[in-house]
Amino acid sequence: MSTKVLMELSLLEAAHLTDLVEQFADLLAESGEADERTPAPDDPAILRLVPDAYRTDDDAAHEFRRLTQGDLLARRRDDAALVLGTLQRDGQALQPADIDRVDAETPLIVELDPASVSAWLRTLTSVRLVLATRLGITDDDAHDADDPRFGVYDWLGFRLEGLLQALED
Amino acid sequence: MTIPLEDIDLRLDAATAGPWQAVVWNDPVNLMSYVTHVFRTYFGYTRERAEQLMLAVHHVGHAVVAEGAREQMELHVQAMHDYGLWATVREGDA
Repeated sequence: MSTKVLMELSLLEAAHLTDLVEQFADLLAESGEADERTPAPDDPAILRLVPDAYRTDDDAAHEFRRLTQGDLLARRRDDAALVLGTLQRDGQALQPADIDRVDAETPLIVELDPASVSAWLRTLTSVRLVLATRLGITDDDAHDADDPRFGVYDWLGFRLEGLLQALED
Repeated sequence: MTIPLEDIDLRLDAATAGPWQAVVWNDPVNLMSYVTHVFRTYFGYTRERAEQLMLAVHHVGHAVVAEGAREQMELHVQAMHDYGLWATVREGDA
């Protein structure tokens, strides 16, 4: 994993992914800084990113949360920022509204060093986990073909799979 | 200040087996290839071992991915959470 990985996205894909990761970063920001008591997040989607580490020992689970939750959520923010940085074109964040029909299919080559690959893997995974919570995906067969959000969810999985495949090659 | 988890080198063979376990639980979201990737990358397991563990998670619902001292299992579980996997610490069978 020492060499760089190249990912090719269309500009429209890159713009939508930018939008999605920005929404994820906003959600993390809303979850706020951990205070001293470090309560578990109210939002089940954020809670999924920092689950209880003990199933039957509430005190130990709370202590683990107190020690780790702030760092873990800070890392999600840092990863998201790194991913957004790699998706910029000419130093500008891509926005779906700015991409016209002609540009939509124009390829954007994203060059990822190992740290960026790691941030991409974790961020695509985290955004999928958040979407899954919002969509109520609780088993392997949960899939509502009529809900367009499943298309986004599947697309993220496709890109994640592609990135993992690129690491194997 | 965030801890660079990738820099923490915890080899299983360097650990004395203890009564605590790090357990990874099945979830319907994480891709099988991703879970295998995490087990290989983080624990340094062979592809074969990583795939065995991944399949155990998928089919049995959970798998013990490491055993040893409690503090070390907590570090492993924190790392699994960092990858987006659902993991817990528990006391092993006596």
